[in-house]
Amino acid sequence: MSIFNREDAIDKNFTARVKSGTLPPPQSATAISEADTNPAELIGLFESQVFSRHMDLRARLMKEEGKCFYTIGSSGHEGNAVFGNVFPFTDMAFLHYRSGAFFIERSRQVPGSSPLYDLGLSFTASEEDTVSGGRHKVIGSKELNIPPQTSTVASHIPKAVGAALSIDRAKDLDIPERNLKDDSIILCSFGDASVNHAAALSGFNTAGWAVKQGGHVPIVFICEDNNFGISVPTPDGWIRDSFSSKSGFEYIACDGLNILDLIKASKEAEAFCRKNRTPVFLHMKTVRLMGHAGSDIEAGYRSQKEIEKSEFHDPLLHSVRILLENRFLSAEEIVKLYENARSNVKHVCESAALRPKLDSAEKVMESLTANLDRRSAPKLRSKKDRESAFGKEFKRLSKPQHMAKLINYTLKDLMLRYPNTLVFGEDVAQKGGVYHVTADLYSQFGVRRAFNSPLDETSIIGSAVGFAHNGFVPIPEIQFLSYFHNAEDQLRGEASTLPFFSEGQYTNPMVLRIPGLAYQKGFGGHFHNDNSLAVFRDLPGIILACPSNGLDAARMLRTAVRVAYENGRVTVFIEPIALYMTKDLHASKDGKWNFEYPDPKEEIPVGDFGTYGNGKALTIITYGNGLYLSLQAQKEIEKKLKKKIKVIDLRWLSDIHVPKLLKAVGTCKHVLIVDECRRSGCHGEGLFIRLTEASTKPLNIKLHAAEDSFIPLGKAATVTLPSKESITKNALEMVNG
Amino acid sequence: MGKIRIVVICPGRGTYTRETSGYLKANGAPAQSHTTWMDEQRKAAGLQTLTELDSQPFKTKIHMAGEHASALIYTCSLADFLSIDQSKYEIAAVTGNSMGWYSALALGGSLSVENGYNLIQTMGSMMAGGTIGGQIIYPIVDEKWQIDESKKNMVTAEIEKAGSYVSIYLGGYLVIGGEQSSLDKLLKSLPAHGKYPLQLPYHAAFHTPLMESVSKKAKAMISESMFQKPSVPLVDGRGHIWSPFSTDTAKLVDYTLNHQVTKTYDFTASVSAAIKEFCPDKMVLLGPGNTLGGAVGQILIENNWLDIDSKKSFSKRQESEPYLISMGMEKQRKMVC
Repeated sequence: MSIFNREDAIDKNFTARVKSGTLPPPQSATAISEADTNPAELIGLFESQVFSRHMDLRARLMKEEGKCFYTIGSSGHEGNAVFGNVFPFTDMAFLHYRSGAFFIERSRQVPGSSPLYDLGLSFTASEEDTVSGGRHKVIGSKELNIPPQTSTVASHIPKAVGAALSIDRAKDLDIPERNLKDDSIILCSFGDASVNHAAALSGFNTAGWAVKQGGHVPIVFICEDNNFGISVPTPDGWIRDSFSSKSGFEYIACDGLNILDLIKASKEAEAFCRKNRTPVFLHMKTVRLMGHAGSDIEAGYRSQKEIEKSEFHDPLLHSVRILLENRFLSAEEIVKLYENARSNVKHVCESAALRPKLDSAEKVMESLTANLDRRSAPKLRSKKDRESAFGKEFKRLSKPQHMAKLINYTLKDLMLRYPNTLVFGEDVAQKGGVYHVTADLYSQFGVRRAFNSPLDETSIIGSAVGFAHNGFVPIPEIQFLSYFHNAEDQLRGEASTLPFFSEGQYTNPMVLRIPGLAYQKGFGGHFHNDNSLAVFRDLPGIILACPSNGLDAARMLRTAVRVAYENGRVTVFIEPIALYMTKDLHASKDGKWNFEYPDPKEEIPVGDFGTYGNGKALTIITYGNGLYLSLQAQKEIEKKLKKKIKVIDLRWLSDIHVPKLLKAVGTCKHVLIVDECRRSGCHGEGLFIRLTEASTKPLNIKLHAAEDSFIPLGKAATVTLPSKESITKNALEMVNG
Repeated sequence: MGKIRIVVICPGRGTYTRETSGYLKANGAPAQSHTTWMDEQRKAAGLQTLTELDSQPFKTKIHMAGEHASALIYTCSLADFLSIDQSKYEIAAVTGNSMGWYSALALGGSLSVENGYNLIQTMGSMMAGGTIGGQIIYPIVDEKWQIDESKKNMVTAEIEKAGSYVSIYLGGYLVIGGEQSSLDKLLKSLPAHGKYPLQLPYHAAFHTPLMESVSKKAKAMISESMFQKPSVPLVDGRGHIWSPFSTDTAKLVDYTLNHQVTKTYDFTASVSAAIKEFCPDKMVLLGPGNTLGGAVGQILIENNWLDIDSKKSFSKRQESEPYLISMGMEKQRKMVC
């Protein structure tokens, strides 16, 4: 048979070999009595395997007809049907893309499910797809407790660990928002090549790190080892050697071709994990059939002999052997089952293919910030409660303080008001953060709510996503902006996409605090002064906040936590480090950058900007340190121009309402955008274009941004950045021509 | 051209009525030998035969009584099922509503026809000494047959307040079961809407916890050995599919005599699962009558199935090229026989 059309060969071989009895010999020796199962259960598992196979075969046929858009399949991995059976559907499952049989089998636990039709809608990208609404072929279902994953390699592993960490914590804290059962565990599957991924290593490391300290991380990692990452083979023994003695992990190996061995191993894994609340690494050895995906020509990197060897060990034929040997079904019945399933899948997929597709940008974007589980924020806490929580500090709330202190107060108030908030990150607990912004939270709220993370940003954001799957509103901290970049995908690929790919059935609300930006006195160097927010500029659905002072920071942070709680939103909250301890604005000891802590009910709505002055000679639009410097410059500019100007603090760098901004600019002809971030990709760049496009009158707009450079040390630390002087110079040039 | 793929729906209690009286005489020929056997059983048990009942003028008290109504409906459904031209129609799955589940078990091959009768007669006669509680029916759809969520929520709240139960999710209707005292409260509290709320005569509080004793008795009286794997997939009153290959008969019996008797029967879930997981070319509603047709239409609307999204589009489709074939309607019956 053709080396290029293996699906046809596999399909025909199945029937021929069932009829002829040419079945693969067992690769493991688990007896039926050891698996503690029954004929109906085994036949049911086989049925799920067969349905999964036919979904793969049909997907390839439909791809040729232009009706299906994704042919990466589950063939060879059908043993995972056993996990769908052994683990109750109340155990949340983060699955990789070869989990068709798992999905079909798990659906048996929830009567009324329609797994075939649902998969069909997903394969054909129908807007009626019950998970992503046609946005991606995902294995997912709210009812089956399977949050959708897309082309996941390993980026789901950190959040799966976070979800595992959340279960016992939610129970201990008794948070009413939790949705996972108290005795549940987490499942997380992936391929053998994925374990090499940084995100995977982050997840495994976090789990082990937590267990080492007595933490509860009830998760079963399922490594479905088919020996290939697309074309690259996994070295012999690599998975076993890497995980069989990993600290904190129970390693269980099983034969993924043998449903009896799979049942035995899965039950062992399930019992161990549920009882001990520690990770199990379940290593399922299997084969991959039909290549990596429809477009992958396996013959390009494997010999026909090798390919046929894998096909000889088709897991469906191994299951057939077990059913025949035990006389649970006859060969004729098996062929009938196989053909009935083919016919059923054909009808289901043909019907699904007729259903409507997304056909407009509006429809596609409807789910960017969707949330089907809206809730109302808890009431503000009473003065008495707050007095008790703040203790001696309560009297100082009315005294002007710098931003770091005011954010600290705000966090305290928020943790008091929202018992489901968690603060975590590097050094945030006992030390209270490198800038003391999280000081006292650990002693006040305990280690369950304010805790140190391992030194791994991927773990921090991934854990936050996972905690948020179980009713928490995490407020994680990334210690410095430049550290965020190695964890970018946890926000870009995971947190920001979850509502989009689930039509708001799943959300991961959080407020990600990141101290950053430049201008730190006496402390230069790029990695603590990173001045680029470009990474956040193009993330649909993410709110980006950057307060310039403590008063705004307090009010904006409250908004961020509230919209996370109520609407499932994700906010990135950038705190300008250089302004943390700044007290003065124009002159030493003028105290004009110290503010009183605002009343707890005060908030600043998302997108609401602040205005300083109402002059018409020039409008400066800025944020963060830029606002601080522009206000300093404002005095000098006005003196030299003998005219008044206006300075606008954007505060929120997402959700900028350009018409409102233009209204605030009013009759002013000159607009100077001051952006402390690098010119290429800075928010000012985008704002420049949007203002130019939207303005109905000619505007003289100029962008004054930082140079496209990294930040050096010492006195040179600010030479590439806008300064009071450069702002003044630019302003005067614009107005005077 | 291949066969036309159908899902068969077996109707429940309340479908053998004054209007369908004589149904067996008119349509029962294919099941004659079975009817004769059942008549003999009934004679021996001191009951009127089905043939006699079918030929008599309809009397609510007689024809709607459990020991007669269930068997009459079963036999009519059986005859209709046997009338389907299987050279043209392929039966993809069988489902049913309420008592129709027992018919489905028999027609789908999990029970022999005789054991189907025995089960139905056992369950139907269980309350010969007096029914337990009762049922009322109330609509939760608007004039377009689309679910009115506010109405549904209101009725659900009233049911809870009155201490009764949802007995059946029946498309655009809720069938409510409970003690008569709780139903009386609902008859007063639910806003009048045409003939609704309507108490169903001779109906007990089927599919509610009030049936616990019936379930217990049934489990003692009915042997698991009567059951076998079905020959075609069955879709039960939760929307669960019982496969011809993997059915665990012990679980099937347990569902039939326990959950099915004492918990809500979700006919909406049954039909929804059937259309999605089998994607039939047509649905065939067995007789007697076609009173279930509206509920099936409402379920299609709820699922926007084939873009049927309102009463109007359902009717239009039914007029031009019926998706739901009701064998109780002479014109449509001819399409499948």
